[in-house]
Amino acid sequence: MATAGKEILKGGFRMSQEKVVLKVYRYNPEVDEKPYYREYEVPTEGVQTLLDALFYIQENLDPTLSFRFFCRAAVCGSCAMKVNGISRLACKTPFKKLVERANGRPITVEPLNFLNTVKDLVVDHDKPFENLKKLQTWCEPKQPIPEKEYRVSPEEVKEYERPTNCILCFACYGSCEAVMDDPKYAGPFAFSRVYKYVLDSRVDEDHKRQMVKNAMEVGDIWSCVQCQKCIYVCPKGIRPAEDIQNVRGKAAEYGFKEYPGVKKVQHFVDWVYATGQINRLALPEEVYGVDPTPLINKFKERGAEVWEVPKPLPGLLEFRDLILEVMKEKKPHLDIDFHHVRRIDKKVEEIFKADVCTKVVEQFEEQREDFFSRFWKKISEFFGAR
Amino acid sequence: MLEYDILIVGAGGAGLYAALWASQNPKIKVGVMSKVYPVRSHTGAAEGGINAALANVAEDNPEKHAFDTVKGSDYLADQDAVEIMTRMAPEIIYDIEHRGVPFSRLPDGRIAQRPFGGASFPRTCYAADRTGLVILHTLYDQSLRQGVEFLNEWFLLNIIHNGERVLGVTALDIKNGEVHFIKAKAVIIATGGHARMYWNRTSNALGNTGDGTAAVLRAGLPLKDMEFVQFHPTGLRKTGILITEGARGEGGYLINKDGERFMKKYAPEKMELAPRDIVARSIEREILEGRGCGPEGDYICLDLRHLGEKKLMERLPQTVEHARVYEGVDPVKEPIPIRPTAHYSMGGIDTDKYGQTEIKGLYAAGEAACISVHGANRLGGNSLLDILVFGKIAAEHAAEYVTGVEHLPTDGSEYVKREEEFIKSLMDKEPKENLSQMRKEMGNIMASKVGIFREEGLMKEALNEIRELKERAKAGLAVVDKSKRFNLNLVQTLEFLNLLDLAEVTTLCAIERKESRGAHYRLDYPQRDDENFLKHSIVRRKEDGTLEHGWKEVVITKWQPQERKY
Repeated sequence: MATAGKEILKGGFRMSQEKVVLKVYRYNPEVDEKPYYREYEVPTEGVQTLLDALFYIQENLDPTLSFRFFCRAAVCGSCAMKVNGISRLACKTPFKKLVERANGRPITVEPLNFLNTVKDLVVDHDKPFENLKKLQTWCEPKQPIPEKEYRVSPEEVKEYERPTNCILCFACYGSCEAVMDDPKYAGPFAFSRVYKYVLDSRVDEDHKRQMVKNAMEVGDIWSCVQCQKCIYVCPKGIRPAEDIQNVRGKAAEYGFKEYPGVKKVQHFVDWVYATGQINRLALPEEVYGVDPTPLINKFKERGAEVWEVPKPLPGLLEFRDLILEVMKEKKPHLDIDFHHVRRIDKKVEEIFKADVCTKVVEQFEEQREDFFSRFWKKISEFFGAR
Repeated sequence: MLEYDILIVGAGGAGLYAALWASQNPKIKVGVMSKVYPVRSHTGAAEGGINAALANVAEDNPEKHAFDTVKGSDYLADQDAVEIMTRMAPEIIYDIEHRGVPFSRLPDGRIAQRPFGGASFPRTCYAADRTGLVILHTLYDQSLRQGVEFLNEWFLLNIIHNGERVLGVTALDIKNGEVHFIKAKAVIIATGGHARMYWNRTSNALGNTGDGTAAVLRAGLPLKDMEFVQFHPTGLRKTGILITEGARGEGGYLINKDGERFMKKYAPEKMELAPRDIVARSIEREILEGRGCGPEGDYICLDLRHLGEKKLMERLPQTVEHARVYEGVDPVKEPIPIRPTAHYSMGGIDTDKYGQTEIKGLYAAGEAACISVHGANRLGGNSLLDILVFGKIAAEHAAEYVTGVEHLPTDGSEYVKREEEFIKSLMDKEPKENLSQMRKEMGNIMASKVGIFREEGLMKEALNEIRELKERAKAGLAVVDKSKRFNLNLVQTLEFLNLLDLAEVTTLCAIERKESRGAHYRLDYPQRDDENFLKHSIVRRKEDGTLEHGWKEVVITKWQPQERKY
């Protein structure tokens, strides 16, 4: 069959667009030693979606092909699969567009990544569903439960509108960089679910904290590298990467300071406030309690110049004012730890023999304006995203 | 062997809500079996909303809701069951709201309600245009909270009973192809509707194949009011996928091939916004009388162009997307080809108002059941309500029942053996028929002869043709894929056989009901005939395989039949 597919390509297929070749992943773990691909010719006319194309194959060419479907209208979440390497709902993928983009090359159809193959395009969905259970993503109603409905403002409902649209198709899970590296990672969809319930005023506060804790301890939420693929592939326009940021913010707000992720954020906030930048040398110690001295010594032994604190940037004082202003306005989840900042200031004084509050600032007076306008933009973008 | 006190078959709204109530008592072991994963079920496709007389927007009460429902049913609904449903509606809404359903809200924070067809007050609670989706997902989250046990991707084969009590079911584990007997003191069938018998002329999901209803028929138990199938006026031509009533609500026109807004002939005042059955019949009449659009004249156009791109994208984004993806038409620039689409099965498993069948421990709820609260025509917003109310009632009744009885002694091996032999016979058969071809034939027969307009001669033809299909299937419809794992070919074949059985029953009932009532419209008997047909039709399959048709009284409490006028 595979060779037959190639022959079609040679035989002038590129010239006529009447048929296109689908290269479909086949694997029945019960009988096949390893997965293989099989090529099928599908007409380009009269086929609306990729799902229709699969039906064409199953009904006319090969009844042994297995794949999932149910609603065929993009609400049930059954038919997520990989098309030319990208997770999509088969029922929502216009076939015409695929054919146009393929431009004579075969269209590759494979099961979602990171889930065990049951057969062909069917993968085991148990694991991601189990993850929801582990994270306890449900409403634990706030007491006392009212006799009628809870009062909820339309604005609040709007706030969690996006994650509410999730259909649990797991397209995001199958594209996730974090899942690839960390099998324990619960998946973008799971954190969107957490976020939805965390925003819901009807949910018990202790349970919200529990869900956020679960997201960290059971779901490894800090493993997300913010690659944003989940946003790109989501067929319902949900933005899980942003929800993940927000759940992390909630972790900080709830005061879960003992978690590395939160410590990291605290490090960022304090050091950026204190010096205008983060301190990579202090990061391992502040986050994981690893003493950096051996590393520093090693650098020094080899003659490298090591600054144990970053040199404070010009115009630091005004910069600090701006940060305070932004924080007052945006009410971020984590406050600056001023004890920590004072310790940093002391180190700066020791090392640079300079008072951060006066000398450093004066030196760079003339460059100030340009510097601030750039930083202001960055900072407001950062907080604006929350 | 798997063993439960209560086994729920189907994990849509009715099944999940039943599971939540049944597992309130931790001593009762509850299992939910579904041929798909829970959140895949068709409840998730319900858009409009759920009715309850909360009176948040206008004066309203359960009695008015009951009357609207009875009137909408063309007086065929059982009024005691309707009263139970509408009385319980507010508490059900509050319960699912407390469990986390994110309803749309009024400015003061209460649940918003909007007007819906056939209702005298704004009574429909909603969550934007995805009410079913949020209910289904919230109930699923709650079932995780309560630790409900699921059997995902298990296909119901048969219901096992001893003529008095239910013993359990046989089922196929789709993932590995194994057949099991599942022992249960009580079984609740919540497998949804069967409008897939109209194949590509339905808004239903591909899997709405009435598996539970067909199993009940095979178990020798009665089905009720199977002739009543609701047609939604606007389904996409090629797929039957629904275009919401909102498209007409926003000002869309229905146009025939002459460019005429033909609704002015049928409902000059309400035009495109007349009740569903009237609009559906008008469209169908235009097509039948040769005023359909396209080379084959087989559809009507829904024209939204005059609304402009901005409004379309704002108000009807899903409609625009559906038309683009599933019909290849851009509603901003072109009219959408539509025709009526089979939408909802009013008929189903005959139960009393507690969801009980004749067999002790066997219950049915949701679209699979016919209690009956929808009678000859269901009102929009009443199906989500029905599945929750009667899911709960069946669960509570079953929970009480199972605490008083013991499991019957059986290891189930004989039933498993029988199923395995049956599946083997399907695989050993010499393939002479093509499944997809036969499905299309079934859909065409049902849509053209037992569809919106019905007439004795054509329906008798249909009955013969369906019976021929059954014969052909028996002789030559083989399962070609012999593998055990996720054998789609096997599942689709079993689903098709279920649909064929139900299509036969539907056609027979439609022939027997010699009147027009609600969704059942007879060209040869255009009037409602209360004297002879204010009755539920009942069909059961005898041991020799033939169908036995009979009638059952309608329960009337407060409202004597009147002419149904809007």
